[in-house]
Amino acid sequence: MSFRQRAASALNDASLQEALTIATTKFIELRREAFDGFPQGERLRDRARQIKEATLQQLDHYVERLVDNVERLGGHAHYAVTAEEARDIVLEIAKRGGARMAVKTKSMATEEIELNEALTRAGITPVETDLGEYIIQLAHEKPSHIIAPAIHKTKGQVAQLFARELKREVAADAEVLTRIARAELRDKFLRAEVGITGANFAVADTGTVVLVTNEGNGRMVTSLPRVHIAVMGVEKVVPSMTDLMIFLAILAKSATGQKLSVYTTLVQGPRRPGELEGPDEFHLVLLDNGRITQLAGPLREALSCLRCGACLNVCPVYRQIGGHAYGYTYPGPIGILLTAMLHGQESVKELAHASSLCGACADACPVRIDIPRMLIELRQGGVESKTAPWAERVVFKTLGRLLTRPALYRLSARLARLFQRPFVRDGVIRRLPLFFGHWTRTRDLPPVAAPTFSERWAELERES
Amino acid sequence: MTRQEFLARIRGEMRKTSGLFAASVAERPAHPQRIADTLRRELSERWPETLEVFRREFERVGGIFYRVPSLAEVPEVVGALARERGARRVIAWHPSALRADLSGPLMAQDLETHLMPPGGLPEAERHGLRAHIAEADLGLTGVDLAVAETGTLVLVSGAGRPRSTALLPPYHVAVFDRTALVESLQQLGVVLESWHEGQPPVGRGGAIHFITGPSRTADIELTLTRGVHGPKEVHAIFVDAPFVG
Repeated sequence: MSFRQRAASALNDASLQEALTIATTKFIELRREAFDGFPQGERLRDRARQIKEATLQQLDHYVERLVDNVERLGGHAHYAVTAEEARDIVLEIAKRGGARMAVKTKSMATEEIELNEALTRAGITPVETDLGEYIIQLAHEKPSHIIAPAIHKTKGQVAQLFARELKREVAADAEVLTRIARAELRDKFLRAEVGITGANFAVADTGTVVLVTNEGNGRMVTSLPRVHIAVMGVEKVVPSMTDLMIFLAILAKSATGQKLSVYTTLVQGPRRPGELEGPDEFHLVLLDNGRITQLAGPLREALSCLRCGACLNVCPVYRQIGGHAYGYTYPGPIGILLTAMLHGQESVKELAHASSLCGACADACPVRIDIPRMLIELRQGGVESKTAPWAERVVFKTLGRLLTRPALYRLSARLARLFQRPFVRDGVIRRLPLFFGHWTRTRDLPPVAAPTFSERWAELERES
Repeated sequence: MTRQEFLARIRGEMRKTSGLFAASVAERPAHPQRIADTLRRELSERWPETLEVFRREFERVGGIFYRVPSLAEVPEVVGALARERGARRVIAWHPSALRADLSGPLMAQDLETHLMPPGGLPEAERHGLRAHIAEADLGLTGVDLAVAETGTLVLVSGAGRPRSTALLPPYHVAVFDRTALVESLQQLGVVLESWHEGQPPVGRGGAIHFITGPSRTADIELTLTRGVHGPKEVHAIFVDAPFVG
């Protein structure tokens, strides 16, 4: 199914439309309230961006320091260039430990490498323990939002999923459903041999992996199973605890409007002497998967992303079509960039246009990533590399030529005024023939004005 | 891939970059221990205001706050809140970690109290104990830091202070005094830096937990629901008379 078809079916899904409007509106409101009551927020956002940039400029140093400290604490570091390598590393560790079940926290990195499918094939049952992830795992779906994976599901649908799984009647009530998930998953936390998490940050200075959750599953997964494996994109390293606090001060506010998420868990290696609980083994899997080449690539800025989801909530396109229509792990404006990073620019030739370039995403981004700029570059890349449809390329090339030749431009404006006549209704062009019709299918085209701007300008000059 | 190959890969790309803007990381305090000590001295003079902010923020995130004159009143408070909730089985940090042995007075409150061991245990015993922890109704812990800005309790794992005491039981009760108070996340950062200066003290565990209210989710239709995996309720008891020197 093409993006256009997926988007069309999302637009026709009434319950999805309702869920999206409610959720994104709420998130926007919560975020605004959080920053309204936090006057230093703007300064910290600038600071956070600086830290990300400075870290990327010395990424080798910080990764090396992180790994040194993880190993000093008795943990193991692993290096994966591709998704496949990352999966193999995790499977090998899990199999060596004789694992039959792995409990997981919500992690976009493990979604990205499609770890659950690989675990299942290897005979290890992956159990998602974030309530939203648990719901979509039962539904055999992908997350539709970076921080609220089941945002598209109504409580009625969740109740049906639970009923099917538990083979009994379940009330469609958030409280009841949460209680059921607590009971179901508690037993699994206590039995699983392996815990798999992502990482929101890792502190190079101290070898600390940082997990941010609201439910407490992050603490369960890092405290109870015998083995803890953290899979982390290599760009998530931060230099020091001082830096970490700056990110924590803006992350939850951007994501859910909380001052801090309920649980921030700082994990430093395996269980220590004298400690009753905590894993025997701690493994950190550092994931490249397209990130490293972007250090010098056009998508470098996207390496600063904190995965807070704020850009999704404010995006007029995401708000209409939701996460699944994008067709990849990461939805929304930042998702388009991350998809291009992971799967190449070819993969986003349609998605690069799934933006009105209004700039709301860049405004909402806690580290001020200029998402629209990169979307425009991806579009340009599509034209230059001939991956865009030929009609689009012809139109852009022709426009480009006209705009650099004033005489030709003036002539074509006059011609256009002549040819547009049959299509103008009430001052706008609502429908164009041939392939131009693609453009006017979802938007109106303003007609060439009479007189044109350059004609009026010349006239004004004469008058004065 | 080996560490060296991976780092070489990063360096190879870093060399290709150009036109980057000047950027700096946050300034890490040069002597965090000294700054943390100064901070504590300053805070010891304005703790009542800090406590008030903490109370407000802690209650805002759904915590339940109490204030008592001395440790002697703590068991009564715990007893009352446990009875109200039908909680009977209590697990508590070891007295060496809690800096007080409350087991006697808690038993007197008709609470079946189980103290956590002062250190690690052999595998088999560890599992037995875990089952016990998993069945407890209430976990009683101390607090390493209380952050006023966010209403956050910071608990460091370690000997006598197992991670699940504040995690598996549905009710978490934390006891603290003025020495735990800091005002802001920034100050928390200073203390964290000081904790990582030099070798960690014997008995320090491998995890630090920031706890900001009870476990919650909004994953079903953004309806706020408490107590998903962690505690449904978090209670903080502030003791006026400092119980540490």
